Amino acid sequence: MRYLRALITRFAELFRKPRRERELVAEMESHLQMHIDDNLRSGMTPQEARRQALLRLGGIEQTKEIYRDRKSLPIIESLLRDLRYGLRVLRKNPGFTTVAVLTLAIGIGANTAIFSVLESQLWRPLPFPDSERLVDAHVVLRENLRQWGVLSSSVYKTWRERSHSFTNLGAYDYPANRNLTAGGTSERVQVMPVTSSLWDTLEVPLETGRGFLPEEETPGRDRVAILTDALWQTRFASDNSVIGKPIVLDGQPYIVVGVASPGLHFEYIDEPAIFVPLAMEPSEQALRNTYVIARLAPGVSPEQARAELAGILETIPKSGGGQAESTASVTNLRETWTGFAARSLFFFAGAVLLVLLIACVNNAGLLLARGLGRQREFTLRAALGAGRGTLIRQSLVESLILSLAGGAAGTLLGLWGAAAFAAFIPQDTLPRNSHIALDARVLLFALAVSIFSALLTGVVPALLSSRVDLNNALRQGASALSSGRSQNRTRSSLVIIEVALALVLLFGAGLFLRSFVRLEQAPRGFDAPGALSFRVSLRGESYAQPEQQHRYFRSLTDQLGTLPGVQAVTVGTGIPLDGHTLSASLNVAGRPPRRKHGTGVLTYAVAPNFFGFLHMHLLAGRAFAPQDSGTSPRVAIISRNTAHTLFGSEDPLGKVLEFVPDERRGVPAEAPSQIVGVSENAQVFGANEVPFDVIYFPFSQHPSSAADIVISSNLPRGALLGAIRETAYALDKDQPVFDVHTMDDLISSSLGGARFDLLLVACLAIVGLTLVSVGIFGTVAYFVQQRTREFGIRLVLGATPAGILRHALKRSFVMGFVGLLSGVVVSLALGRVLRGVLYLVPGEHTGMLYGVKIYDPLSMSFACILLFAVLTLASYIPAVRAARVEPTVALRYE
Amino acid sequence: MKKPEQRDLFPGALEMMILRTLKRQPLHGYALVQHIKRTSNDLLQIEEGSLYPALQRLLKEDLVKAEWSISSTNRRVRIYKLTAAGARHLERQVSSFEKMLEGITRVLARGES
Repeated sequence: MRYLRALITRFAELFRKPRRERELVAEMESHLQMHIDDNLRSGMTPQEARRQALLRLGGIEQTKEIYRDRKSLPIIESLLRDLRYGLRVLRKNPGFTTVAVLTLAIGIGANTAIFSVLESQLWRPLPFPDSERLVDAHVVLRENLRQWGVLSSSVYKTWRERSHSFTNLGAYDYPANRNLTAGGTSERVQVMPVTSSLWDTLEVPLETGRGFLPEEETPGRDRVAILTDALWQTRFASDNSVIGKPIVLDGQPYIVVGVASPGLHFEYIDEPAIFVPLAMEPSEQALRNTYVIARLAPGVSPEQARAELAGILETIPKSGGGQAESTASVTNLRETWTGFAARSLFFFAGAVLLVLLIACVNNAGLLLARGLGRQREFTLRAALGAGRGTLIRQSLVESLILSLAGGAAGTLLGLWGAAAFAAFIPQDTLPRNSHIALDARVLLFALAVSIFSALLTGVVPALLSSRVDLNNALRQGASALSSGRSQNRTRSSLVIIEVALALVLLFGAGLFLRSFVRLEQAPRGFDAPGALSFRVSLRGESYAQPEQQHRYFRSLTDQLGTLPGVQAVTVGTGIPLDGHTLSASLNVAGRPPRRKHGTGVLTYAVAPNFFGFLHMHLLAGRAFAPQDSGTSPRVAIISRNTAHTLFGSEDPLGKVLEFVPDERRGVPAEAPSQIVGVSENAQVFGANEVPFDVIYFPFSQHPSSAADIVISSNLPRGALLGAIRETAYALDKDQPVFDVHTMDDLISSSLGGARFDLLLVACLAIVGLTLVSVGIFGTVAYFVQQRTREFGIRLVLGATPAGILRHALKRSFVMGFVGLLSGVVVSLALGRVLRGVLYLVPGEHTGMLYGVKIYDPLSMSFACILLFAVLTLASYIPAVRAARVEPTVALRYE
Repeated sequence: MKKPEQRDLFPGALEMMILRTLKRQPLHGYALVQHIKRTSNDLLQIEEGSLYPALQRLLKEDLVKAEWSISSTNRRVRIYKLTAAGARHLERQVSSFEKMLEGITRVLARGES
């Protein structure tokens, strides 16, 4: 306690020094005077009296010093002194300071930007109370722990009844678009089915009204709705009287029972506008796209919860929805929701870290050069009694000042960078739509990075330049000081490290560039420049039957086809790249099944002119014809990939496909279909994908309630859109037209992710390359300057300027070569480690690179040549200067 | 160079003497030195250089307090006074010093026999 108090007072003394010290001085003055008086009285001469008194008192300055060291905290005090001194030194070298601070600002700024993205997207807690206790519980395949993604209601209900690991369990389905009719207008809104227990699980209160009741989870009693606060405000003017009133969703009335609190945000998914009860039959066994959120009971770990759920799952008989091949999985809800973006974000963080490292190495080189230039100063200070520790501390304080200044500028730069990142990154590549903002954690991170870079840049130069040999230094004069062997070695190593780091960055940028070019050139399997597509999803009683759906779409396409200026119209349940596809499991008739549950394929149902319209090339057989109708024999066209999967090199034409009824999903089997054609693979979800197995049916044989209509015309977009809306609403005013885009938009946005990756990596590579060239230039120029005298002697002794040039270049070439070699080794090693993350692997669709190998020779040579060119240029200018030197100047050069 | 043992007898001795002297009467720094010198029959020469740091230490720990005033010779001086805490501290110090002295004396006596 006493110690603490002493510490506090000492600390306070730091700021109160002048007054105290003045008092002490006054007191000692008077003491001295009294002593002198006494001495005079005892008969000394005035001089002797004063001398004796001073001897006795031991000198005012020393006493003051002893007193000072006791009085406040010497460490902080000398640190403040170092700080003041450092600031003075840096202010006197504005050029050096600016370059060093800017370099660090770029490195720290880029890291701060990425950190704030990581923080807001991955690590920030979900907007629910105590959200880290929330978990996602699901059923996974035992063999690879991949998500099954589907759950039967009986599994959910059994988990809910029997488990003890949770304080609560709730479930939801993904929001779906439905038509909301209220107050005479209709619009499409996101509707999210949730169980009554979800509110309690998330622990979010309602704004007003009541939640769902458990009995409202039964089909037939589920016609109640909870509005989100946003919808309540915009659509119902925050009117309390809406509670108890009906709204109409897809033609069916729902009673509004409550309004969710404004704080309820799901962030990661399309924000729902309306909640309805998730109704399930108690004994329902069909699998459905239901997700379970649970709140762990206090003291229960996710692993314990998982074990309990897995145990319960095993007790459910197979007929009751339990499956022998599946087990339970329990994962942190935040990680489950945000995990898909972690991979690429961490990759960017790695690339940004490289830039910071380059910046640090660069500054280390700068500091080292400056340390050598200040050798005289250090020698002087050492001669005046500064210990090595003091010198090191002084150097470190200076690099700390630089880093903190760089950190402050970097934070601003980072803010701007994070905003730019958020603005440029394509939609839905970030998991959460929460704002990327500066908060305490980001600031703390920037501070930590600043201190880290201060150490990284400062330690080596501080150690080296503080190594002062007084004897030699004072004897030989300044010129001999600067050429320490270890210092030259260190400088060479810094250049080598820089070159290696830059090579990794450039090689990476090359890979992304090549990957992007490959992606752009990759066969998309379709082409329809200028065509416009839109979607209609039929709702309501009058479209329950497939024939009604078929009739609607046929009328719509026929009528659109007669519009003036329209050249062609086609329809399909989905079009390439828009991701709307259905799926089926099938076997080839007369052959043993390849897989237990059949081969999974993606399916489309399309109009006869679909292939011709989208220029989807038929490799064999025929396209669908108008005579492939609902009553004629069932036919199908398979994609090249499907043909290869099912038949290898055999001719698939004429073979019959049998469909496996999907009991798990409660989907009945399709009728067997004969293969009449093989089409080229077309991209389904995105540019960066491994081809899927796809099969096409005639729309007439497999009508659907939702389909895309593609239309080509020479009308301007606005006029065409108006005509489309008019036609569609004339046909049925309750069926909205949505998802309007051109085929070119689809292609462009399918490349958006790759374009962004390329942009980011290229920016980082350019920044890195710039920093490296500055660093190399500085270092080589310094080497040359250092050896000016040597070159002069050589010239006098008969060396030619060309010889000197060669000589000066040789060293940088050796450094460059070693650097490039290490860079190649590091890149290849990194590529091996990151292969799983970076590259598209068969069966996975999440890699960041397409069609290039880890040892892509073109990218590698590109990186090497570019770096070598930069290196040569950066060395050439100082080298030429060296060769042009006048011997007399050189010899006089000190 | 001053040798440390000339400065101080043992850690705390100077402080103890200052406190003891101040207990008798408040004094300024120079008088303190003179007084200690006199009362010890010139056996103890206080290093004046270490007096002021010691006084500052005592001030800081609230064992003494100081006031500016004017001396008999018409000089501005700082008069040091013992505080209550200082008196208690002195008592403890003296008693522990006496114990220590007794111990030392015994050991020295044993060594002689």
